[in-house]
Amino acid sequence: MSFVVGTALLAAVTAVACSLPGVFVVLRKGSMLVDAIAHAVLPGIVVGYALTQNFDSPVLIIGSALAGLVVVLGTEWLGRTGLITGDAPQGLIFPALFSIGVILVSTNFANIHLDTHMVLAGDLNLAAYRQLEIGGISVGPQYLYVMIIVLLVNIVFLTLTYQKLKITTFDPEFASTLGIATKWVNTAFMFIVSVTVTTAFNAAGAVLIIALMVAPPATAYLLSNTLPMMLTLTVVVAVIGAFAGFGIAYFLNAATSAAMAVFYGLLFIVTVGVERLLRRRSQTRSNALMSLDRELS
Amino acid sequence: MSLLEFFANHTYRMVFFGTMTIGLVSGALGSFAYLRKQSLVSDVVSHAALPGTLLAFLVAVTVFGVDGRNTVGLIIGAVIVGTIAVLFANGVANTTKIRIDSAMAVSLTLFFGAGMILMRVIANGEYPGKGGIQDYLFGNASVITTADLYTSVVTGGLAIVVMLVFWKEFALRTFDPGHASVLGFNGRTIDVLMFTTIVIAIVIGVKSVGLVLMVAFVVTPPAAARQWTTTLGSMVTLAGIFGAVGSGVGAYLSIAWGNVPTGPLIVLTLFALFVLSLLLSPRRSIVMTSLTRLRARKQLQHQLETTP
Repeated sequence: MSFVVGTALLAAVTAVACSLPGVFVVLRKGSMLVDAIAHAVLPGIVVGYALTQNFDSPVLIIGSALAGLVVVLGTEWLGRTGLITGDAPQGLIFPALFSIGVILVSTNFANIHLDTHMVLAGDLNLAAYRQLEIGGISVGPQYLYVMIIVLLVNIVFLTLTYQKLKITTFDPEFASTLGIATKWVNTAFMFIVSVTVTTAFNAAGAVLIIALMVAPPATAYLLSNTLPMMLTLTVVVAVIGAFAGFGIAYFLNAATSAAMAVFYGLLFIVTVGVERLLRRRSQTRSNALMSLDRELS
Repeated sequence: MSLLEFFANHTYRMVFFGTMTIGLVSGALGSFAYLRKQSLVSDVVSHAALPGTLLAFLVAVTVFGVDGRNTVGLIIGAVIVGTIAVLFANGVANTTKIRIDSAMAVSLTLFFGAGMILMRVIANGEYPGKGGIQDYLFGNASVITTADLYTSVVTGGLAIVVMLVFWKEFALRTFDPGHASVLGFNGRTIDVLMFTTIVIAIVIGVKSVGLVLMVAFVVTPPAAARQWTTTLGSMVTLAGIFGAVGSGVGAYLSIAWGNVPTGPLIVLTLFALFVLSLLLSPRRSIVMTSLTRLRARKQLQHQLETTP
């Protein structure tokens, strides 16, 4: 497989793997929580690296995902104390964790390669650099297969918990009366989100992961009335954006994840415009029908 | 390092007073974002400040052919783009079924992505004075110049003056938006004005603190101050003081310990202030509420036992 094809595939698989759980993140009003998780991953990676001395260890991913979970549970706990209002709880916790990460890096690991761009925007080309060879033939970047595994884990998780996730998302009180452990469903889901964020971190960086996770579902949400429709449209938007973003980045010689984020953002704006236009047209049509009714009667 | 040695050094003085100014202004103005339950708007602004700054740099260099590092020009660019990002997020949340959290996330990543592309464009091109644009990502407090300090004092002071002049309008719009409209205030104008002052507070800090950590300067001091106060005036004042003191202490420690980055250490100092406030404030802290609850439980027990 050529490098370009492999990297473009990596972009698409990463986008789909992030945006599937992203559907429920958007519906559960947790979009900015992804921002907090993505930043908390940094100290997790640093501490994990200090323990394992290996950037590819699965321990690193689990450790960082746990750091993400600390933000989620900490935010919920702070909100429950009733002392902090609005969306402030997550804004309090993740900068502190991120600061710990930055301080650890600059005081202990000045020799390891942790580029500033890399942390915030990631580097897809670097993630795709190491190729997997089977019998001497390259079958694409190694990281592509890591993301495929994450994608499969997400699909399995979402399929198994689909009904529970759906009910706890749309009507948490009804879910509790049915005897569903809302809290545990939420914690398990947020752990899956954390794992996804951690693995996608290499490809997209702390900030632009949010674009992959939130922008396609938000765009799909504008156009859908049902959950299956939203899930389908999300995958379509994610894949289109991944290839388009990859193309733009290739053309401009810029970071792929940044180009993807911009493309998703612009697509979102266009969709907002189209949706408003459609709504207005259907409104005038129904108004016209109503006045016609009145005249006839 | 003794305090005398510390203040005898020009660079250290600049770091100390520069970060204190940032802490004071963002703490005071952050109170309004906090009370409107939109603290994370500061995260959107700090990320949108990146493309704003870079655009201003490009325009200054290519269109006007002047020095691209002119602080005032960069701040104006960042304030304009930052305000657009906030209005975009709020506009989407108000007119579509997308809720504010997703709207903010899309706005943040769109503008930040654009900023990263612009950064690459600038890095690839031949532009005079392009060094130091990296500082906006993680912040670098040690490059605060005298001109930077004066600019932040003047622009930050301007934002504070606007807040004081429109105090009544800001307060009314924050606590009772409906009543504000009934009284004939134009909600939209006040919102734009209020968010612009918050944007100014953030923008003057981004280069020294970095765009990721700026959110802590806006959220933490008001959240800490809220635990001690019950009126808007005292909350804004205390948040400003917390911001300034936390920044000063953090800056001093980072220099005294050496080799520890300033921005992150200030954030941790502010966080420590917040945790102390949460635990110890006399009126509504965690310790006090659990004590009150314990006392009430005992009293109830006592009543139940003594009444026949």
